[in-house]
Amino acid sequence: MVLETILYLIAYPPLWQVLVVGFVGGLLLAMVAIWFERKAAARVQRRIGPYWASPRLGGFMNIVADMVRYVTQQVIIPTTVDKVAFIVTPVAMLVITILPVAFIPLSPHNLYWPVASMDYSLLVALALTTLPPLLAVVLGWASNNKFSIIGSLRESYVITAYELVAVLAILSAAASTLSFNVVHIVEAQQPLKWLALLNPIAFLAAFLAVLMSTSAFPFEIPESEHEVVAGPYTEYSGVLYALNMGGGYIRRFVYSLLIALVFLGGWAPLTPGLDPLTGLIIPSLVVLAKAAILMLVMSFLRAVYGRYRLDQALDAAWRLALPLALIGLGWSIMLAYVNLI
Amino acid sequence: MKESHTGTSSGVLEGRRVEGMVVRRIERELYEVFIGPQHPGSGHMRIIVRLDGDIIVEADPDIGYVHRTMEKLSEVREWLKPIPLLERMTIIDACNVTLPYVNALEKLMDKKPPPRASYLRVLLCEINRVASHLYGFGIFGVFLGHSTMYMWAFGDREVFVELAEILTGARLTHTYHIPGGVRRDMPQDFPQMARRAVRYMRRRLEEYRKIFLENPVIVKRLEGVGVISRNLAADLGIVGPNVRASGIRYDVRLVEPYEVYDELEFEVPVFEEGDALARTWVRVEEIKQSLNIIEQAVDWLERHKGEVIPKEDYERLPKLHKEVYEKTGRVKLLPAHATMKVPAGKAVARGEMGRGEIIYYVESDGGTTPYRVRVVTPSARNAIVFKYVVPGHRLMDLPAIYGSIDYFPPEADR
Repeated sequence: MVLETILYLIAYPPLWQVLVVGFVGGLLLAMVAIWFERKAAARVQRRIGPYWASPRLGGFMNIVADMVRYVTQQVIIPTTVDKVAFIVTPVAMLVITILPVAFIPLSPHNLYWPVASMDYSLLVALALTTLPPLLAVVLGWASNNKFSIIGSLRESYVITAYELVAVLAILSAAASTLSFNVVHIVEAQQPLKWLALLNPIAFLAAFLAVLMSTSAFPFEIPESEHEVVAGPYTEYSGVLYALNMGGGYIRRFVYSLLIALVFLGGWAPLTPGLDPLTGLIIPSLVVLAKAAILMLVMSFLRAVYGRYRLDQALDAAWRLALPLALIGLGWSIMLAYVNLI
Repeated sequence: MKESHTGTSSGVLEGRRVEGMVVRRIERELYEVFIGPQHPGSGHMRIIVRLDGDIIVEADPDIGYVHRTMEKLSEVREWLKPIPLLERMTIIDACNVTLPYVNALEKLMDKKPPPRASYLRVLLCEINRVASHLYGFGIFGVFLGHSTMYMWAFGDREVFVELAEILTGARLTHTYHIPGGVRRDMPQDFPQMARRAVRYMRRRLEEYRKIFLENPVIVKRLEGVGVISRNLAADLGIVGPNVRASGIRYDVRLVEPYEVYDELEFEVPVFEEGDALARTWVRVEEIKQSLNIIEQAVDWLERHKGEVIPKEDYERLPKLHKEVYEKTGRVKLLPAHATMKVPAGKAVARGEMGRGEIIYYVESDGGTTPYRVRVVTPSARNAIVFKYVVPGHRLMDLPAIYGSIDYFPPEADR
């Protein structure tokens, strides 16, 4: 009885969504991704990586210490910047970055996740993921710094090229399941008809595009240190810089969630029940775990590859990734036509 | 007519001209970016880059930020003391950078080091060359966003830095050469350690090839980038691995063998392409050759015993110093060394550093300090590459070219 009450309390939608998915999922997973990135890179590079802050946790507290440092650091606002835009943009960017999570249901039940019954949840979530890059351009402009402007311009090039691929590739799921509702898409994939298996081309295109548009591995072109210092973020320091930096990881988290649902079968192989434990808590944790694995794979690649040149990356986007996404879309339509899904 | 206005960010300060500054017309359409001196990708220098979109139209290397008046300072120091000073030019290649100075001194004093000392010098020079190339590799790796190469190269460089430490007592600033010999004999177990290091490095080079040199992303970034044709290389007078990557077989160890390089077997790797990838491969092949030389040198040193300073110098040592030498292999210098006088004359000596040819001109008026020391370092000669090779490339090619020519500002600025 007591247990059930506690379960119902936890499963109260605002609490679970905000606290667990937003805070634990977003923040903690971003921290784990950063930690893993450092630790895995260290492993490849025959170093130890973060260690002294908490040897038993493998140096995880190092990340916490880093965050504390960012928060307590002096925030320098240069006199030459556009002050309002300079301060507001990073905050707005973070908020908009995490906004799509509101439209990504991690439970099939309307009761626990009101968005679950929304018929265009995939479309809205995808549309929202394309917003933050626009603010990166504002960021560079507000900084009034040549490196920032070059970085912003690069960001806009890269994102124009790869956002399209990501959106097309993820939308191909809608084409094969004939629905924009994330829950329907997930349920169509039960128990093992995952779209990543049925349509690996679209999955690959989506994965590549997400890597690229979140400035991960060979693609951190906008922030490429050796030409443009820190790209759009050159003038930032302290907590404002941390917001910018964390924004990238949260963007990757949002995309990972979407890919986990759309391509990796969401809560499959689990069939959600009706009570809060099997209907909400376990399914959403399964999805989070899948997203976490995706994020960690993305982090790992960083240690192995170098950075593409801007024109080569754009070339790869238009010549390789876009056709790949289109083929994926065609394949999806064919899947729907032959009723395979 | 294109609209243009007078002034750069230097030259005109708050609307008023500053005397003594260069003011030049710039095109309004060009975007002028100052890369350095405070920039993660510049080193101790500045490259003024003018961009048309993403294409570099003009690149202006602005060097001299770490000029430390080494030539002048050498004139006010007793003959031995410029050695630790000149080491600071290229602290990562400290043996090669001072050897020609000592050679020039020996020419003036008409001294010849015993063969064992020569072999020890060559041994340390090659250890330094490997360490220097690895350092360049590391920087190159991180310039291309490849942090693993950076960490690996710096980690493996440690092996050779430690070898040098075991041999000389110092990790970087060895100050190993003295006129007529070296400061210290090799420890008994050094050959085993050197051979182990050589074996280890050969294995690692294979791994470098897999993760870096044949990495598709890296190959794409380097192939056909920063091409220096044979003619251009000759015209610009660049030296070292850069000129050998352009198909010119020029190595001081080959054209004017010093020390015992004529007794050793090694090849001078030459590539024809002249692009950044060829320059990278030249360095890898050179590391392999250096490893061969290290093996040959320790083999020879094991078989041949002998003194590391000339006989007449040894006999002049007091009993205590001789005992120290017999027991530990360390040469304790006499105070007379510090105030020695060098016969008047002029001497030129050159050597091959990791980055290319270094030339010393040393003049003595018979006093206790040099009358003039002139150094021409390889980086000083390679700096011109920025001006003639970078334009026409994209901004993201700049680090690739910078890293591939392995330019080292403190060495160029002296």
